[in-house]
Amino acid sequence: MTSGIVVADHCSKWYGHVLGVSEVTWTLGRGIVGLLGPNGAGKSTLIKMMAGLLRPSRGSLTVYGARPFDDVAVRRRIGYAPEHDATWDELTALELVTAMARLAGVPAAKAGRAAEDAIAQMGMTAAMHRRVRGFSKGMRQRTKLATAIAHDPDFVLLDEPLTGVDPIARADIVERIKQLGAAGKTIVVSSHVLYEIEALTSDIVVIYRGQVLAEGNVYEIRRLIDRHPHRIRVECDQPRAIAAALAPEDHIARLSFERGGIVIETRDPDRCYDQLASAVLAANVTVSALSSPDNNLGAVFEYLTGDGGRR
Amino acid sequence: MSESPSSAVSSPLATIWTLAVVTFKRLRRGKAMWIGVGLAALPIAYAIARRARGAAVAPDELFAAAMVLLALLPAMFVASSVGEDIEDRTSTYLWSRAIPRWAVLAGKLCALAPVVIVLLAGSWYATIQLGAPASPSLSSVLAMVAGCIAASLIAAGIATVVPKHGMVLSIGYLLVDNFIGAMPFSLAELSITHQATLLAMLDGPHPIATPLFVMALVSGLWAAIGVVRIGRLEV
Repeated sequence: MTSGIVVADHCSKWYGHVLGVSEVTWTLGRGIVGLLGPNGAGKSTLIKMMAGLLRPSRGSLTVYGARPFDDVAVRRRIGYAPEHDATWDELTALELVTAMARLAGVPAAKAGRAAEDAIAQMGMTAAMHRRVRGFSKGMRQRTKLATAIAHDPDFVLLDEPLTGVDPIARADIVERIKQLGAAGKTIVVSSHVLYEIEALTSDIVVIYRGQVLAEGNVYEIRRLIDRHPHRIRVECDQPRAIAAALAPEDHIARLSFERGGIVIETRDPDRCYDQLASAVLAANVTVSALSSPDNNLGAVFEYLTGDGGRR
Repeated sequence: MSESPSSAVSSPLATIWTLAVVTFKRLRRGKAMWIGVGLAALPIAYAIARRARGAAVAPDELFAAAMVLLALLPAMFVASSVGEDIEDRTSTYLWSRAIPRWAVLAGKLCALAPVVIVLLAGSWYATIQLGAPASPSLSSVLAMVAGCIAASLIAAGIATVVPKHGMVLSIGYLLVDNFIGAMPFSLAELSITHQATLLAMLDGPHPIATPLFVMALVSGLWAAIGVVRIGRLEV
């Protein structure tokens, strides 16, 4: 058998007649790996199979040589932060993370300290005695990350950990994930936004329509994606202030106003996000949500997988 | 954060205890607890009102009212807790941990069944004390406890089968159970409320082996369905 932390061998998953993942054969080594693909591509399905939440319909998927759905012990080595926001809102962040650490096998005497450490790593110490119910999207994401790492797992699965968080929190979370990677954890991060993944790692697995299209070098896909304007939707209280700051920039392809915000189309996402953060700070704009619709990525993947497309 | 990767997983008892503590804490901070307290107080208020008008209520009439509550409270607490975790996908936090899935059900039951017991048995005790001419018998209190345990297991099982509508279907099932239990047919023998009423011995002594066996059988069947179902669920 091929050695690797995760070994998928012709692994498929169906939800009734809907295909989640199709015939994936893939081996995951160490380090931070980005799982890139548009919504519905199969990223979450693959991550859930690695986390032991789904069982492959066909083929096999092992983590550290064991099947995580059936093997309780191997899940001790896995930390998982789901994509969805739902959690036990009645608890404080510390109570939630402590409970998750206990359930992951950390002894009672050490669980509280382990939870505090994890929360501190995510920069949430000041809010750890507050109930999760009142948390912002970014705070929820950080709390989810803390639940994933409190038991000191070797292998961390983060499903869309940057979705919906503001640019400043996004940069901070990226830095903290990189620190985890530097500490020796193997991390799989999924996203439908290339620049998010690139900020974390150059080791990327491209997944589309349930299949692994490519892995490793990302420069070609990056070049193709850059041909298509990247869309950023900002929900905020002063969209015109953001528009005024970004309109003169040559990388801006289009600015359009929507109810409660603005949609930016750019050919240089990295510069755009930097300038967006500066504009938000300069005009004291309150950003309630920030997202990147994946239409552009989907278009590129359609091109890649189309009849005349390149693989 | 210095546990070695090979460190043992939590024991089932530790897991159940952790889940029970968390479940109880969530219940205490939510609204369901207070709604349950309000419902449990209704028979007491009824008994007091009847007594105030000089009309003491027969214990069997009050027991029947308590059996209706038995259809509501386990569903409100147990079925909603189990069903919501699956439906809201908060179960993904639990099922990705190094714990057996049956322990999730056990932890919730350990937290919530005692709450149901305290509310219903407490309500029954207070209702009889305040509304009936006699004190509640020990057998009637124990029958209420057995009914609460059985109904909680049934609600847990139903919620794993139909998480989205677990509470409503549990209430429906237990109301039908009430209805069947009141029927003068042999089908009534399968009703846990009927068996609980027999156990209560309100109309004189009865053998307890058969009622206990039937309640254990029916609730055990639902618990087994719950354990099997939760072991197979994918979210």
